[in-house]
Amino acid sequence: MSNSPALTVERPSAAPPPKRRASTTKRKQHLAAYLFLLPFFVVFITMLVVPLVYSGYLSLFESKLIGGEVFTGLGNYVRAITDPLFLEGLGRVGLFFIVQVPIMLGLALFFALALDSFRARGSKAIRLLIYMPYAVPAVVATLMWGYLYGPDFGPIAQISRAVGLGTPDFLSAENMLGSMMNIVTWEFVGYNMIIMYAALRSIPTELYEAAEIDGAGQFRLAWSIKIPAIRPAILLTIIFSVIGSFQLFAEPSLLSIIAPNVVINSYTPNFYAYNLAFVNQELNYAASIAFLLGIVIAVVSYIVQLGAQRRERRERGLS
Amino acid sequence: MGEGPGTPAPASEKKEEKVMRNAPRTALALGVGAVTTALLLSGCTPGGDSGDTTGPITDEQREEALSTPTELTFWTWVPDIENEVALFEEAYPEIDVTVENVGQGLVHYQKLRSAIEAGEGAPDVAQVEYQYIPSFVLPESLLDLTPYGADDLADGYVGWAWNQVSPGDEVWAIPQDVGPMGNLYREDILAAAGITEPPATYDDYAVAAKAVKDATGSYISNLGATQAGQMIGFFWQAGIKPFGYDGSETVKIDVNSAEAKEVATYWTELIQADLISTDVDFNDTWYQGLANGKYAGWLTAAWAPVFLQGTAESTSGLWRAAPLPQWSAGEEVSGNWGGSSDAVLASSENPIAAYELAKFINNDEESAMMLATEQFLYPPQVSVLEDPTFVDQQSEFYGGQEVNKLFAEISTTVDTDFEWVPFMDYVYSTYEETMGTVIADKGDIAAALDVWQDELVKYAEDQGFTVE
Amino acid sequence: MTSTETRAAVTIGDATGSRRAARHFAPERRRSTLLTVLLWLCVLYFVLPLWWLLVSSTKDNAALFTTFGLWFGGDFSLWENLQTLFSVRDGIFTRWLVNTFVYSISAAVGATLLSTMAGYAFAKYEFPGKRALFSATLGAIMIPLTALALPTYLLFSSAGLTDTPWAVIVPSLVSPFGVYLMRVYSADAIPDGLIEAARVDGAGEFRIFWQVGLRLLGPGLVTVFLFSLVATWNNYFLPLIMLNSSDLYPITVGLAQLQSAASQGGGSQALFSTVITGSLVSIVPLVLAFLFLQRYWQSGLATGSVKE
Repeated sequence: MSNSPALTVERPSAAPPPKRRASTTKRKQHLAAYLFLLPFFVVFITMLVVPLVYSGYLSLFESKLIGGEVFTGLGNYVRAITDPLFLEGLGRVGLFFIVQVPIMLGLALFFALALDSFRARGSKAIRLLIYMPYAVPAVVATLMWGYLYGPDFGPIAQISRAVGLGTPDFLSAENMLGSMMNIVTWEFVGYNMIIMYAALRSIPTELYEAAEIDGAGQFRLAWSIKIPAIRPAILLTIIFSVIGSFQLFAEPSLLSIIAPNVVINSYTPNFYAYNLAFVNQELNYAASIAFLLGIVIAVVSYIVQLGAQRRERRERGLS
Repeated sequence: MGEGPGTPAPASEKKEEKVMRNAPRTALALGVGAVTTALLLSGCTPGGDSGDTTGPITDEQREEALSTPTELTFWTWVPDIENEVALFEEAYPEIDVTVENVGQGLVHYQKLRSAIEAGEGAPDVAQVEYQYIPSFVLPESLLDLTPYGADDLADGYVGWAWNQVSPGDEVWAIPQDVGPMGNLYREDILAAAGITEPPATYDDYAVAAKAVKDATGSYISNLGATQAGQMIGFFWQAGIKPFGYDGSETVKIDVNSAEAKEVATYWTELIQADLISTDVDFNDTWYQGLANGKYAGWLTAAWAPVFLQGTAESTSGLWRAAPLPQWSAGEEVSGNWGGSSDAVLASSENPIAAYELAKFINNDEESAMMLATEQFLYPPQVSVLEDPTFVDQQSEFYGGQEVNKLFAEISTTVDTDFEWVPFMDYVYSTYEETMGTVIADKGDIAAALDVWQDELVKYAEDQGFTVE
Repeated sequence: MTSTETRAAVTIGDATGSRRAARHFAPERRRSTLLTVLLWLCVLYFVLPLWWLLVSSTKDNAALFTTFGLWFGGDFSLWENLQTLFSVRDGIFTRWLVNTFVYSISAAVGATLLSTMAGYAFAKYEFPGKRALFSATLGAIMIPLTALALPTYLLFSSAGLTDTPWAVIVPSLVSPFGVYLMRVYSADAIPDGLIEAARVDGAGEFRIFWQVGLRLLGPGLVTVFLFSLVATWNNYFLPLIMLNSSDLYPITVGLAQLQSAASQGGGSQALFSTVITGSLVSIVPLVLAFLFLQRYWQSGLATGSVKE
């Protein structure tokens, strides 16, 4: 998993090694570096790597209620890539990613730019209020939206009926994914906005002044200067969103309590893995689903980064 | 470990099997590195402590166990069961019981299974609903209670409830409460449709459903779209045996028998005629439906009368209880929906005290009566069902009716040998997906039974069972 | 806030401040009414659910289902609801609040410390294996953590650590994003010359980190701290599987349990309003933390998000 070029690009400024020191000093510094890293990596290894290896190991076995554990090699993986439930779930989160992420990040970018332009009254309050949902636990957010969506007593349905539009059914099979997208959008627009906004705020001012003297409008300013300047931040939010959408778990698991016939156990791959492990008692198969999901996420992230790099190269070539 | 006087020995093959099952885990641990090796190895041989005595526990052993300072853990989601436990601790001051509510239903079982799997942190006594008992019997997680004298309790229980905890020679748990099914209905709404007697047969019920809908706009009842327990209760009443388990490797799965399809078709027709609603139950919308007359009744279990009383307070006095409608006139049969038992885990280090706790909670006169009258769990104990303080209670909510007495009578009409398969979690969760979606969409439930059947058979075979 | 942190914040603040000052005062900005209206309309979307939560927590169970959701109605029952909330099951909600505080603050402090040390090392030292270690750290973000839940549970259980606070705190100490952020931040905020100078003065590597490094990392520390705090505060899944004793639950798990008790009857029907009030109470501390610390985390993020 070393495919994060955008995140790993070495900064040339990072301490060029001072010329010709005694090698003991160097070794001392290496030692210090390792000691600084040690606590993090001890926890990293025990809490992430070991369970991961363990889980990978488990995924090579098959466990049956009768007969116990048997080695199957890649049997579980073969089963997974032909398992319609897994593939449907993957398709669902894929759709989620394609539809929800552009909306969420588009909104976030719009708000960030709008706030950065200082053209609205009460910018500071707006920023905080949009950001606030991020501080709300997914458990509470889903619970809240569950009530708001309610067909009988939910305020949305109440308003819709009062206006004569009938009762919208947010929790039906057709609308559920959209309802989930809405919850996630509500939760994370502010978070992404803040990342972009923070990036906008640290663009050197000189860049603007020239353009403003040229009489460039706000839109052109945003399009040709601001957005390119914060491209790394945008890429970061996209990567986080890839991970977030493909690992969708809390929302489906909580909505399945309200609408168990719609949010089935395999609704998203992550929720599927959880149910396989805990309900179906197929821990080994669950482990292989989790692994495949991790691989899918890595591949999609890689494609996103590759796309971003190519675009950058192309634009550089043009200018 | 294993100092408890006279722990009956789990057969030694069991132990070997455990070790075998854990073998890959151990192998991994050796590979990963020192820290983890230690972590893993220490957890590798769960439970399996044993003494060497087989045969019944003697009185001396019991005396000794109950007078030795002991700590027990009890997982249950019965609210305020601490009160009954306090009675036990009063009777046996040396025993200290910690009650934990680790969650309700599925969460509870997930945690129980995880703890058993991990070989650490499992309780001594756990609440287990009847349908889940086989799933704990299969991996040998429960202690057979016959050597502890559980057999003697059989006569104190209504027969079908006892069969649930003891389908064969062994006794796996002590029954705590049951849910024989009946019909709770709004007398006023039915009367408004000209119906003065609760429908006696399902034919009458269908007619009444039409009359009620036409006259008042209410549904005569709601069939919870994802409520497998209710549907299985209807099957139970109709004498259908969809499941069976021989205690080792053979299961019976027959959810799409001709009889089951008849039941399914009956409901399909009512639902498609919009006479029965199919809202998902036990959520706020459904609660309000009970309170505001959207549903004029509820075919439910004996634990429901008090539950409803709390939910639909504003309609007090308007409700009545009756037996379920019957498939043929003159019959008197019912099914069961819900109810729990208390089981002792095989891993318990103090099995005698644990057994005594499970027994005491549900059999001590005062404790059993408290469960029935304070936690409103519907009792399976004959003594309580015959006790006037329980059955003669008149309920305002039901217009002064003696609801407990009615359900005590229904309780004697429940079919006696209904069985389960050892993977009911899966059965219920696939019910939601195969049946639930169809019921909610007003589709053909009988056809959905075939899909459900196929899913279940496939799962059972994949898991290595022989399907009958 | 310690005085060192404040000082560091001021230093950074000055640097960015002067850069931005020109822009603030340069051309007199025209306010746009259209944009203002549009933005405030959008704000409604983000605030209404919270408004609903606030309004609903003033209603009793009956009013919850009979009055319009977005406005007050029925009796004003906020105090009764709070009373019920804090007295349900012998006041266990207070316990959950305290647990949540303890878990999130210790996890956040620990995660910040570990991330800062690691990030600093990645930024300020050259050593064999640096690239590989850093890539591994970032790659870890992609692991679906829920899927590791059961293996992690089994490991903890073998060590006898399930159903203890450690089971919630220790896994939360790993924050790959925190390491990333602190690497970028350290690279930016700590001049190499300063470190060199300290070395020339004969200071050891740890003293340099402690006395020179940390001092300059204030806003970055606050940012990582807050993000870890939110992550642990909002975590539902990990405590759900790790903890069995309700005495050890954090609010998220406790609320979910109350909610499921509410929807299954559980002997008392007044619980819906209790769950809603509990939800409101559970988000107040985080909102306050963000309000009061915003100056720090915003500048921390500013650096973290632009640099590659």
